[in-house]
Amino acid sequence: MRRLRKPTIAALTGLAAAALVSGCGGGSLGGGDSDDGGGGGDTATPVRLGLVVPTSGVYAPLGEDMKQGFELYLAQHGQKLGGHAVELEVVDEGATPATGVAATQRLLQGDVNAVVGIVNSATALGVRDAFDEAKIPLIVANAGADAITGAKKSDFVWRTSFSNGQVAAALGPQAAQTCTKGAFLVAADYAAGKEATAGFRQTFTAAGGKVVGSVFPPFGTTTNYQPFLAQIRQSGADCAYSFFAGAEAVAFTKQYAQFGLKDTVKLYSSGFLTEGGVLKGAGAAAAGIETSLHYSDQLDTPANKAFVGEYQAKFGESPTVYAVQTYDAAHVLDDAFKTGIDGPAVVKGLQGISSVDSPRGTWRFDDGHGPQQTYYLRRVDQGAGGLVNTVVQPLSGA
Amino acid sequence: MPGSLDTHLVTAVDGVAFGVLLFTIALGLSLVFGVMDILNLAHGALYLGGAYLAVSFVGDGGSIGAFALACLVAVVVGALAGGGLAAVTRPVAARGHLDQALLTLGIAFVVSDLYSEVHGNDVESVEPPAGLDGGVTLLGSQYPGYRLFVIAVGAVLALGAWYAVERTKAGALVRAAVADAPMVRALGVNTTVLVTGVFAVGAALVVLGGVLGAPILSASPGLDTRVLILGLVVVVIGGLGSVPGAVVGALVIGQVEALGVELLPTWAPFLTFGAMALVLLLRPAGILASGRAA
Repeated sequence: MRRLRKPTIAALTGLAAAALVSGCGGGSLGGGDSDDGGGGGDTATPVRLGLVVPTSGVYAPLGEDMKQGFELYLAQHGQKLGGHAVELEVVDEGATPATGVAATQRLLQGDVNAVVGIVNSATALGVRDAFDEAKIPLIVANAGADAITGAKKSDFVWRTSFSNGQVAAALGPQAAQTCTKGAFLVAADYAAGKEATAGFRQTFTAAGGKVVGSVFPPFGTTTNYQPFLAQIRQSGADCAYSFFAGAEAVAFTKQYAQFGLKDTVKLYSSGFLTEGGVLKGAGAAAAGIETSLHYSDQLDTPANKAFVGEYQAKFGESPTVYAVQTYDAAHVLDDAFKTGIDGPAVVKGLQGISSVDSPRGTWRFDDGHGPQQTYYLRRVDQGAGGLVNTVVQPLSGA
Repeated sequence: MPGSLDTHLVTAVDGVAFGVLLFTIALGLSLVFGVMDILNLAHGALYLGGAYLAVSFVGDGGSIGAFALACLVAVVVGALAGGGLAAVTRPVAARGHLDQALLTLGIAFVVSDLYSEVHGNDVESVEPPAGLDGGVTLLGSQYPGYRLFVIAVGAVLALGAWYAVERTKAGALVRAAVADAPMVRALGVNTTVLVTGVFAVGAALVVLGGVLGAPILSASPGLDTRVLILGLVVVVIGGLGSVPGAVVGALVIGQVEALGVELLPTWAPFLTFGAMALVLLLRPAGILASGRAA
């Protein structure tokens, strides 16, 4: 047999590679005919949902809570939303927008009726156009960038979590009452930190408070906060407002106490500083910190008590705000799927939701498709089984 | 930013404390790279292992005894791990840095995932042992006493390492191997034992560093990468294969991260790598180079 010439071999290899790639490109959900009918009556068709949460990397603890919140709602409703059986695919968002955007786009290439989740704001902003063009609804269950329900809002992007600026703004008027000598702002140097401090500054100064300085430690690489804490001490402020999450929250809270600021400069923060595993990590250093957030597992309402009880029975731990956000995402999809399960029908269903009864209280969607909700002033106190965020009072005006 | 001299001095002291931790990380990396020309990217995972050891033994503020035990276990576990790494990297020792990097990076990924399996993904913080957890007043500000303890330990470790390398026969062999490894082999020295010994000591030191550093840096997934990067920067700046080089590099980066960030907060993300770039431009082999460039 004549030996194949080199260009022929190259061409054959290229052809084989192309065949393999196109074979793999179908997407793991496989093809199904999309349901064009849109009628709510056809409950025999299962809905395919994608849950994009971090299951690896630095945000994995949040992803776990979010998955559990969603699973609890499904378990309470017989694995059905809007009467349709749910086929759920959990996809790892990873720790960076690179992995998150890739994972979400892979879901979109499959045949999915809606996608829920996303922790990282950069990921959410990165996929917004893809959902808008594909006309598939995305329920953001954590990412807090203001633009997602603001400048970059879309008919197909909805949010059940929060926006950074609003959570912080709720604290401003309250802090203005106690911070007579002025407040110092310190936040991690990324979009969330910047938006949160801007939100706080706006309502704080409007209520008569004085901002005496601000500093933004580099995000993700700062382990030693002493130089920044020294600035706070030097400024003469009697309060500080901070925004940190995850490992940075633990490090900042502990060092705030270690360097003696805890007893001299009152610390306010957005609630992520003291939520979930972070509170356990910070330990006694977090006692007394007052935060604003749209949820605490200590909320004394019948709806929340029932939710906390069932969550603890099923998962052996107390729910966090991340679990509630995804629980509510399942709730709004449950309502919306009754109208239909193709993209535009789901959007119509979401638009028709007048209010959501949630463990966090009653809330509704605003014009940007984000939640208009009550924020609570919480304080870290010693509870029965460890440190908890007691609810001091609801905060007015966000 | 204007601040009183006292505040800057406190920050400088803090920079020394951080420098001590960097020294424990960098010395092992530097010696292994200097003696055997092996790039060991699993070094950060060793540090994280020490941190998780501290979590297991001391957790929420144990006694000094438990802490001392954790340190002892760290040294033993580290030495064993170092010996293991020496054996595992022997096949790739002659194959160039890329192969060594791939192998050790793979080991680092596997070990890191194992840590997550055992300890979960949350940040695990460690309280300083009882007796060392108080605050002291340093130049008018409160300062965590534990960090002063770390500085003291670091001084002892640095002196011990310097003595071992400069004044003992084993240390002389190490210095000779850094200068000219083939000649040392030609003189009949058993380089396998030498390599294993250097790996073991370097690993023991970094695991101990992990235990010491746990009350300051906690333990969490991703810490191993951050620590490895800082260690590599210190080695590049300080020069390969020498104790004084590791000390100088660690102290310099410790100050950059503390005083540098306080004086130039807007430039903070760029300071460490800026310092490294500066050193590479002016003295490519490192400030106290004793061998070839990194």
